[in-house]
Amino acid sequence: MSISPLTEKPYAEALPFSIGASVVVNGRYLSPPEDKDGKIWVRSSALVLRDAQTLYAMWRDVESAPRWQENIIEVVTTGPTTSRWSMKTSEDDDAKVIGWDSEVMADEPGVRIAWRSIGGESDNAGEVIFEAAPSGQGTVVTVLQEFRMGKLASAWETLVGRNPKQAVIENLRHFKALAETGEIPRSQLDPHGDRGIIGNLKRSSYGETVPTPTGSN
Amino acid sequence: MKAVCWMGKSSMETRTVPDPELINPHDAIIKVTRTAICGSDLHLYDGFIPTMESGDIMGHEFMGLVEEVGPEVANLKRGDRVVVPFTIACGNCIFCKKKFWAACDNTNPNAHLMEKAYGYSGAGLFGYSHMMGGYAGGQAQYVRVPFANVGPLKIENDLPDEKVLFLSDIFPTGYMAAENAQIQPGDTVAVWGCGPVGQFAIASAFMLGAARVIAIDRFQERLALARSLGAITVDYSEEDVSVLTALKDLTGGVGPDSCIDAVGLEAHSNELQGVYDVVKTALFMETDRPSVLRQAIQAVRKGGTLSIPGVYGGLLDKVPFGAAFGKGITMKMGQTNMHNYMKPLLERVEKGQIDPSYIISHRITLEQAPEMYKVWRDKKEKVTKIVIDPWA
Ligand SMILES: [Zn+2]
Ligand SMILES: [Zn+2]
Repeated sequence: MSISPLTEKPYAEALPFSIGASVVVNGRYLSPPEDKDGKIWVRSSALVLRDAQTLYAMWRDVESAPRWQENIIEVVTTGPTTSRWSMKTSEDDDAKVIGWDSEVMADEPGVRIAWRSIGGESDNAGEVIFEAAPSGQGTVVTVLQEFRMGKLASAWETLVGRNPKQAVIENLRHFKALAETGEIPRSQLDPHGDRGIIGNLKRSSYGETVPTPTGSN
Repeated sequence: MKAVCWMGKSSMETRTVPDPELINPHDAIIKVTRTAICGSDLHLYDGFIPTMESGDIMGHEFMGLVEEVGPEVANLKRGDRVVVPFTIACGNCIFCKKKFWAACDNTNPNAHLMEKAYGYSGAGLFGYSHMMGGYAGGQAQYVRVPFANVGPLKIENDLPDEKVLFLSDIFPTGYMAAENAQIQPGDTVAVWGCGPVGQFAIASAFMLGAARVIAIDRFQERLALARSLGAITVDYSEEDVSVLTALKDLTGGVGPDSCIDAVGLEAHSNELQGVYDVVKTALFMETDRPSVLRQAIQAVRKGGTLSIPGVYGGLLDKVPFGAAFGKGITMKMGQTNMHNYMKPLLERVEKGQIDPSYIISHRITLEQAPEMYKVWRDKKEKVTKIVIDPWA
């Protein structure tokens, strides 16, 4: 590969998780892990009316992630299980871009994908599972994501204006919309009259300054 | 283009703004030929709905001509005449598949705002705040319509705009209210609020077999329209009138089989509980004033049905839930599942069973719209429905 790996993180997880993204284990509901020791966790799920195989393939196609993940500007495959991710840290034209390498740790087509960062400006690990909905209609997609407080998490929070947990929730929402309809709903480019100072303040407080991914390349 | 913009509480302005452009593959751009001001727009005007931003383009009742379509819109072409439902639905999520179009999962780009306020998000709406999607509305010369492959109803006859425009919201909303009232032939139905939604609820109740409809309001012009449909009217502002007594007197003490609250969150009541609500709203102790809802629960017969098309935005206080439980009533409510009703109701208009234009009282230009919001809100003229020609 022409891209050299970013610096290895000594404290990256050996395995993505001690537990997986599953919501039910041995018939019991399992609540998501609590934030502690500098790690923050988020779990979100969505019922998507597509088959598990299609959804798995969409998620596994990491180079298309910028179509539906907020502020991800580029993902380049660097090996059979590795990729380089770049994220914008604000909406300014000269915004700083942070990058990290990611490695797929578990890959079961139509069932689950687990990954972790292996270097660069982010410590994160995640798992997504695809389960047939109990009704037989569609697939329940559950994602569990862990961040260590670091440049990625703080970039989300302070520069991009989105709590990193919310970013994971929004990205799953975008993924679902794209999978079900072929597009991601957007209203930010609609015309409007003068926003004035108060209107602009409201926009940023609502998180509307994070551009909705386009859903296409 | 010109558009009516919300510039703050009690402040509307007609402004020149950029024309809308296609953004997503299922979009269409519509040249608006007629649009209307809805009673629920007054909730925005009065500042009752959070997440409005200055500059937002108003309006969710509109129709027009297809100007341009996105690459994935196969069912429409330039020049087609369409009425657009105020709720935006994707057609592909579990709720659209179940025909709960108003609950669509995929059309609100700001679903997180709605989830923060309510714990869930419904479909995106045109011109109705950022938590409802932040979409530009149709009180404008042009509007972008997302999922134009799903929502817009093609009008393939020469009926004038005014006869089909209200298929965009209030006619289906009134009809769904009557359907939700679970009317059986011979039933007596009471309708609170004789504004446009109440009018169409009354007309629809008769269509669905009601033998008697009792219409409750305080505005003479609205009560007269209700009587023109065959309803018996009760003017609650008259000094010696008690609505609860009237409804007992008119039903042999039984109470109406179904009650429809077509008033919603800005219910006005001259009774003490109304005053109590106004005080509490002013102190931000609750968001809605449910005086009509309370009355409807008290009035409906044992085992009857309460249908609520009126828009409620938040929490309710002092709702007589014991009476609701004791009588075993059914409550049905919610945002209109527009897409279920537009076509069948168009057929009723085509067959001449109803002419929805009878409620129009004012025909205006975009420039006149800001003033008309004020006139309507302040009840300065006898307003029943305001229609705008954006090109006049
Ligand atoms: Zn309306
Ligand atoms: Zn939908």
